[in-house]
Amino acid sequence: MAPHYGAASQRPSLQTADLRHAVSRRDVRRAWRWQNAGVLSAVPRKKPFPRQCAPGRALPCLLALVLVACGDRPVPAPAPDAELPAAEGIKTFHHSLDAAPSSLDPVQASNVYANHVVLNAYDTLFAYQYLARPYRLKPNLAAGWPEISADLLRYRIRIKPGVRFQDDPAFPGGKGREVVAEDVVYSLKRQFDPKNRPQGAWFWQGRIVGLDAWKEAGSDYDREVPGLRALNRYTIEVRLTRPYPQLLDTFAQGYSAVVPREAAEHYGPELGIHPVGSGPFKVVSYDTSRIVFERNPYFRQEPVDLAAEGYDPATQRYTGVERIAGRSPPFVDRLIIDFASDEASRWNSFTKGNEIQVAGLPVEKVDEVLESRDPLRLKPEYAARWQAASGTEAGFVFETFNLDFPEFGYHPDPVRAQRNKALRCAIIKAFDWEAHNQSWFFGLGNIFPGIIPPVVPEFDPTLSRASVTHDPEGARRLLAENGWTAEQLPVLVYGQMAGVRSRMFFEQFRAQLMEIGWPQRKLVLKQYATFGDISRAWKESRLPLIVKGWGLDYPDAENTLQLFYGPNGSPGSNDANYRNPEFDRLYEQASVMLPSPERTELYRRMNQMVIDDCVAITGMSRKRIHLWHNNVVALPDREIVGGFFLRYVDVLPPGESARPAEAGG
Amino acid sequence: MSRSAARDAGDSPGHDTLWRLAAHKLLRDRAGLLALAVVGIYLLAAIGVWLGWWAQEWALITGSKWGPVSAEHWFGTNIIGQDIFQRGIYSTATAFQVGLLVAVLAVAIGALLGAVAGFLAGGWVDEVVLWLLGVIDAVPFYLMVAAIAFALADYPYSMHVAMVSTFWTGTARLVRGEVIKLRGLEFVEAARAIGVPGVTIIFRHVLPNTFHILLVKFTLVFVDAIKSEVVLSFLGLGVKEGMSWGLMLSESTLEFLAGQFNNLIVASSLLFGLVFAFNMLADALQDALDPRRAA
Repeated sequence: MAPHYGAASQRPSLQTADLRHAVSRRDVRRAWRWQNAGVLSAVPRKKPFPRQCAPGRALPCLLALVLVACGDRPVPAPAPDAELPAAEGIKTFHHSLDAAPSSLDPVQASNVYANHVVLNAYDTLFAYQYLARPYRLKPNLAAGWPEISADLLRYRIRIKPGVRFQDDPAFPGGKGREVVAEDVVYSLKRQFDPKNRPQGAWFWQGRIVGLDAWKEAGSDYDREVPGLRALNRYTIEVRLTRPYPQLLDTFAQGYSAVVPREAAEHYGPELGIHPVGSGPFKVVSYDTSRIVFERNPYFRQEPVDLAAEGYDPATQRYTGVERIAGRSPPFVDRLIIDFASDEASRWNSFTKGNEIQVAGLPVEKVDEVLESRDPLRLKPEYAARWQAASGTEAGFVFETFNLDFPEFGYHPDPVRAQRNKALRCAIIKAFDWEAHNQSWFFGLGNIFPGIIPPVVPEFDPTLSRASVTHDPEGARRLLAENGWTAEQLPVLVYGQMAGVRSRMFFEQFRAQLMEIGWPQRKLVLKQYATFGDISRAWKESRLPLIVKGWGLDYPDAENTLQLFYGPNGSPGSNDANYRNPEFDRLYEQASVMLPSPERTELYRRMNQMVIDDCVAITGMSRKRIHLWHNNVVALPDREIVGGFFLRYVDVLPPGESARPAEAGG
Repeated sequence: MSRSAARDAGDSPGHDTLWRLAAHKLLRDRAGLLALAVVGIYLLAAIGVWLGWWAQEWALITGSKWGPVSAEHWFGTNIIGQDIFQRGIYSTATAFQVGLLVAVLAVAIGALLGAVAGFLAGGWVDEVVLWLLGVIDAVPFYLMVAAIAFALADYPYSMHVAMVSTFWTGTARLVRGEVIKLRGLEFVEAARAIGVPGVTIIFRHVLPNTFHILLVKFTLVFVDAIKSEVVLSFLGLGVKEGMSWGLMLSESTLEFLAGQFNNLIVASSLLFGLVFAFNMLADALQDALDPRRAA
């Protein structure tokens, strides 16, 4: 998925941080908005007056307060926990997301928020290990690793017996029944039934034998799909049209969550607000501002094996996660997730102490809260109350040229095509990633060349950094050498979602191009009111420059390389409409290979092609800093693990610290 | 003021005209003069921008992120290193451009339709104008302006169109009322009696006698336009190209968490100064042009 700059939603995880990007994911994207509003509420409570409001400077401050009070207001505070029924004596974990899910129906879990929630109400065959970094898959509903045929075309997956769906009126007598292999088959078929308005079919399109034909034939659930069958009560067989090394990763996504047929038929479209699954939690209330879960009493008993979860005592002991070893999740009785788009409101709620217990550190607060960025260390006054962890996002932000625009991209005249390439290269040189990083991410971003981000194993740290080095002189020279004058330079429309942050992104971009001689009047901002609007503009190839971000669906560079695969051109995920036969050939070759040095080499060659052809201004992976209250036992993650981590969260009584004594707790 | 209007207002040997009395009164109003001087300074700043004398580097990055107040950057720099003072001054030109354009057009349209409706009060033209006034006034102002601005999203003057289309109604109502009063006066009756066409009566005899209202209304619409521009720009519906105080205020929301207030202070202070001065000027003009007080 790729968010628009300024809005980013990544899928199974990504950060919320800033985003001038909106994360899109093939056809399925959704933006989350910049958090621009409600700033007054973000003034730290322990600091009655900001530095500028010292006595003697009252007038400016008064003006500031009056204006802000008349301006944007914080999101209304959610109802206090005390208003929830029977809260006393119940262990509650309360956190927030920066936007509400689009739907709780797995077939529509198209953004990070929906995925985050769906994974707690439903089960998936596989999941990501809670603590392993880099991320690693593990069986979840699956009883173990699948049997895979030698030609990599047939998978047999056995599911755990005795797992049951939560009680719901959809079932006879209101009692949940056992989850069986047919449920998995049914749930995957739902992605190919147009009536469900599915958004995740692209994972399996053309990959599973007979599934596309099943859809063409009318999506009759009683009709068997040759490549997707329940062999018996607990075994599923998947037959592929060609090897698909990322298949098991797709079975860890919310899209593949297991839905009982009774519930889907009982609720119809309302399944999107009434989830019925076998996950660790059961939804008890849900609206656009909050979702409340309670522990699913029937969730299978599976004591936590920290080693199997990838626990690293050297780096993770401070979190106190050893406390959950040998116990069966979930550990809290109630899980509350507020949907609050305003970052300042979330920060206020977190610092208040008795509301949300986990928050991302706003970049504006980095210097105030942190004593050290690397290694990450809180200032003592904050360390007494909070824990912290940081991680690089599983994705990146970038800008691509739409090569279908003859002013910048492909051109029938080879000379002009070459000049266009020089033009793109000059823009790339003019772009100042460091300034962008400092301005918007307080230097916390990880700038890298190309389209393989640092979070995946195929990342090449030795790659030349020329493509991410600000070189206005080189840009001017390149323009001059290729005959570009101010009069000849084309009008460049910078499409963005409406919002002050995206406007400022544009201003920064414009100033950098003005530095190399681009006339101000030829740099135009076009703002779109909604992510849907700008997404349509991308798909319809109406913008010469696409500003976006991409959140990895799984930790494999294939997920970003497909953004430049020719057949994925507009309206597909290849918004750049990059068409390089050699790139496409390598992509097709690599897409059926298992992870190996040979495949990594192919990935890197493709990466270099994108750099050499000056297709994109790329890239930067942002770093997110998570903070959580000391009495919370957790290692929060918004990346690949995403919603899976909530089942492992435990909450100690107020005043207690999860941090082991030897770790300074 | 036209000759006939001056005559109608009582210009005869040995008598001061309304305008002369008003000017005399205004010159004795220190607050009014101060306000006029402040507005003049703002206007000078705007003219300097239009002529390219200053604030031409408002879009460039000339400093570091949140650079401090210095001789080079009088009010520091913003989050991407642009000079806040230059942006503030450039925004003055935007404010005047919006204010002048909207005030001139809104007052002109309001005066025209109000005069015609008033002169033909009771007829179908009056009915149509009143219906239009009622319809437009029934829609909450910002909703109306936002809807028009949104509908004309790509048009650089969408905000102007939106404001003109709503601001003319106040002027029209006032002028209509004044014209209904004027059309019964003797000089209008006399003009009718000698066969002067209605259009001529409206434009040569009636409308000039509403100029004192229009002048005050102009200042009020000017201020309203500037304030609305700021609000609409803050909401992302205003200025498309260039810079405005509303955009600066909007931008400042990115900076509060980090304790940066320069954008806010500069934009709000400049806005406050101009609006305050214009309001004072409007008050002074109203006092000066009120025939009862002027007399």
